[in-house]
Amino acid sequence: MDIGAPDTEHEIEIAPLDEPVPAPAPAEEPAQEPVPA
Amino acid sequence: MSSGPFLTEPIVAWRLWHVRRHDDVHRLESFTWHHVSWPAGARFEAECSTHGVAAPVEGHECGIYAFKTRELAEDLLRRYTGVRQHYGHPNQELPPLRQGCPIAIGRVSLWGRVLAREHGFRAQYAYPYELFLIGGEDTLARELRRLYAVDVWPS
Repeated sequence: MDIGAPDTEHEIEIAPLDEPVPAPAPAEEPAQEPVPA
Repeated sequence: MSSGPFLTEPIVAWRLWHVRRHDDVHRLESFTWHHVSWPAGARFEAECSTHGVAAPVEGHECGIYAFKTRELAEDLLRRYTGVRQHYGHPNQELPPLRQGCPIAIGRVSLWGRVLAREHGFRAQYAYPYELFLIGGEDTLARELRRLYAVDVWPS
């Protein structure tokens, strides 16, 4: 992958307060049938 | 110790992935390194056969790559599929893919130690941010959305 000439490179340090890794989506629960009283 | 700027927000850049089936599950796989799959629910960490987890290292080519713009990622896709020029003019359409070999183009969060160049980045850590499938339909988009917990748009 050509991201440009190496001599243009400069370093950045990035320390997010929270890592940008989303929590897994909750498992979908089956819809419950309404139960007549 | 880094001598460059210190940021608390990840860089969001563009890249490509192959989408390949591993056992019963589709996963994102590195575009240029075959059979290196990206974990779901955990950061992808750069690793180098020479420098180990110290990647990316200055003066080397290790790290997780991403482009500054979507256009640069699309240009790599055109080069990959061999479609670059059409009757002497730049081809603006994305090329057709081989049947059953979907590709994802999308945004990726980069953080940790990041080496920036004029067209892109080499990063220490990464996780997908948003994916657009090329050659993938609703079912695959739903599967990747559930697995990686990010937005995935079918083609």
